[in-house]
Amino acid sequence: MTTTATPETPATPAARPRHTGRFARLLDAAAPRSTVLMIVGGVLTLVGAYLPWVTFVLNEGPYPEKATLNFFVDPFGVTGFRLHLVILGLAAIVVAALRRIPARHRIVRGLGIGATVVALINGLWITVEGGGLGAITASEGTIAFGSIVALVGGLVTVLGASAGGLERKPVWTWTLPWWVEWILLVVLFVIVLLLVAAVLTSGGQGGVVNPYAGVVFLSLLAALGGAFAALNASGLLTWVSAVSERHRTFSVIVLLIVALLLPLTSAGTEYWMTVASNIGVYAATAIGLNIVVGLAGLLDLGYVAFLGIGAFVAANLSGAAASQIGIHLPFVLVMIISSVVAGMFGAIVGSPTLRVRGDYLAIVTLAFGEIFVRSAQNNIGGLTGGANAIPNIPAVGVGDFKFSDSVVIGSLRLPSGVLYYFLIVLLVAAVMLVFAHLKNSRLGRAWIAIREDEDAASAMGIRTGPIKILAFLIGAMLAGLAGAFFAHKTAVVAYDSFRFLESVTLLAAVILGGMGTIPGAVLGASILFVLPEKLREFSDYRLLLFGLALVLIMRFRPQGIVPDRHRKAELTDPDVEDVAKEGPGPLPTRVEP
Amino acid sequence: MHAVEETPRLSTFLSQIANGLVLGSLIALIALGYTMVYGIITLINFAHGEIFMVGAYGGLATLTYILPTAIATTWYFALPIALVAGAIVAMLIAVAMERFAYRPLRNAPRLAPLITALGVSVALQEAMRVFYPGATAALPFPNLFIEGAVVIPIGDGVVIRYVGILLIVMSLVLAFGLERFVERTRLGRAMRATSQDRDVARLMGIDPDRVIVLTFAIGGALAGVAGVLYGSYLNNINIDMGFQNGIFAFTAAVLGGIGNIRGAVVGGLVIGLVKALGGQYLPGGTAYDYVWIFVVLIIVLVFRPQGFFGESERVRA
Repeated sequence: MTTTATPETPATPAARPRHTGRFARLLDAAAPRSTVLMIVGGVLTLVGAYLPWVTFVLNEGPYPEKATLNFFVDPFGVTGFRLHLVILGLAAIVVAALRRIPARHRIVRGLGIGATVVALINGLWITVEGGGLGAITASEGTIAFGSIVALVGGLVTVLGASAGGLERKPVWTWTLPWWVEWILLVVLFVIVLLLVAAVLTSGGQGGVVNPYAGVVFLSLLAALGGAFAALNASGLLTWVSAVSERHRTFSVIVLLIVALLLPLTSAGTEYWMTVASNIGVYAATAIGLNIVVGLAGLLDLGYVAFLGIGAFVAANLSGAAASQIGIHLPFVLVMIISSVVAGMFGAIVGSPTLRVRGDYLAIVTLAFGEIFVRSAQNNIGGLTGGANAIPNIPAVGVGDFKFSDSVVIGSLRLPSGVLYYFLIVLLVAAVMLVFAHLKNSRLGRAWIAIREDEDAASAMGIRTGPIKILAFLIGAMLAGLAGAFFAHKTAVVAYDSFRFLESVTLLAAVILGGMGTIPGAVLGASILFVLPEKLREFSDYRLLLFGLALVLIMRFRPQGIVPDRHRKAELTDPDVEDVAKEGPGPLPTRVEP
Repeated sequence: MHAVEETPRLSTFLSQIANGLVLGSLIALIALGYTMVYGIITLINFAHGEIFMVGAYGGLATLTYILPTAIATTWYFALPIALVAGAIVAMLIAVAMERFAYRPLRNAPRLAPLITALGVSVALQEAMRVFYPGATAALPFPNLFIEGAVVIPIGDGVVIRYVGILLIVMSLVLAFGLERFVERTRLGRAMRATSQDRDVARLMGIDPDRVIVLTFAIGGALAGVAGVLYGSYLNNINIDMGFQNGIFAFTAAVLGGIGNIRGAVVGGLVIGLVKALGGQYLPGGTAYDYVWIFVVLIIVLVFRPQGFFGESERVRA
């Protein structure tokens, strides 16, 4: 076993405390005491977790995790967000104190940001819900400085870590015996499964059932985000992904099995199975869109129409009473037909790519999408049901056996909807497989070449026209598949599900996750379709926040959560950074097409 | 017998022409903003339609909450005040949008500002729905001009409301004024220079940031005026009006040759006529009138992307 940690020593000046930017002075002043600051910040976070957070019982009932009224008496009974703060704070102290750990400033910064956001979310929520600052400071003889102390702690941690200078991510090159790595991967994937189940179910269903569902969920997300950032900074995530890359087939199989085990976790109720299935539909669609946008670089603003076409085709072939075509075909056949029909429309929508490029193409696709919605709304050819939709689509099944039934295996009772969940997991896996193979194929390389520079690609002998249309065709086919599933799962297909906003949401999912990557599309779709489920209290502000989030993502992290390597290089152009920081300094190099 | 049938048909046709011209001049007014912004920073400012919507709400808010009833119901006070108020609100939003959303992305890849524009569009629409009292449903908007209509005695009579005539006249006057401004003034020359080559313009002592802000301000103000006139003509406004009309306006701008002021006006009128006549005579009726506009958009983009007045075939990457 070789344990060679090789922290790359890059020639960037940022490695030493010569700070630039808005907080340069503050960071320079803090630099000599960065370790002390990190530890102090960690301690403050810890203390904050144990202080009372609320001065009185809120209108909606006591704030979760006993964060109300009294100084916390039971030091080992911390749960929920206070436990997350304790863990983040302790981890920050330990990592800051161990000078041998490579990239410790970067790790601690991740932890500090996590703690800051957790404190901020809970503090803000209490302030907003509980009637102003009185709820979190001092009122009627009780004091509650928990959130403020934890917030300051988090900020001090971040300050100390940033002042110490952020190192490059270390690269670990451990290799273990294959069976140890296999066991490690299985354990890690099971942990991921449990985390996914915890995130999905955290705070419950939201709305009336649990008034604090939204904040519990957001807070958990922030804590996990901080931990994730810290792990990433330590280089361990990169190492794990390298390990799973070494055992590619094994990882894929384990991941698939783990995904199929979700019904056995706390998420194994009918409600969460439905949520998970819906996420699956949008994840599959987002992967299809990822081919068009992420690989081939063709912006499609009407993509959800293909999901709609697939769904309407399936609805018409399902034997539903409202469908015009009174035939009932087996589901597998329906899926194939939906997919093919959607693919045909994809080729039609894609054909203008022969002449139109860039944002003009985006507008053409938007126009096609709008034409689809308008036609569906007007019940074109009697195929879409118009405003009445096509209701009562029968469940997938053979004879008496229906996919919507619950499953009993011995003493194990799986909730209804679980079969649909299995089906969509397999579907998403298939779509992923298609995507991964395409990406690494001759065709995928041609798409990427077209994305990078169409003229150069064409000069290299790539027949750009048919290949671009093929991107639309394949993307649409995948969406059509998802649409067929969607029709049967939800049992109702209405034109309203396929509006422009849905296309934008799908696009946002692809961009948020990271264009051109599979985990990115799945992650983006999960986030964007779980959030509204969780933030029912905020349903009024949902779209507003969504719009603002789009703007902020484009501003601060255009490469997404899981950036594609090529994309990353493309979007973080050094020239751009210079101009953004120094204002109108040197002339930006602008290349006229 | 034959003649009796012919005249109502003619009057229907002429009525639809009139409707189309009114709608078209409204779209033209919005298209001016699109075309100017695209001309200068080659950005499809999706949120421009929402600026138009915000302008309408700004005008309505002034009428409802600020002006005393006596003034708000007297058209020769209310009309100019509402127009100016709508223009100012729309202009402020447009400038803020440029400053906070688009300027940081000035040198980013093309995809980024387009998606930002979508985000701004959604955010503005939702902000209005959430924060403007009663905006969850369509709100009534008073007619700010003289009631009544001109009736041309052909067949059943071709009715053109005064406010429609006002709309046509105002948009033609404003477009003409804008063209004079761009062609004749120093600032206009700076705008043209910036749109041709931002870097060389900077070398000539022009501050491109100021010119771009000015472009957004003018486009926003015109959209605000259009918003108030729209409300005045249709007598109700809703938060969806921005998206639809914004797309129409974009179509008009492309149709006329993007970056071209006259083209935007002509394109707007053509789009208005397509919608009115398409809704009347093409299969599907008014339910499909939007579809025809999108069909026109696709055909134009595919076969003549430089539009009517476009200078040369430019490959857009």
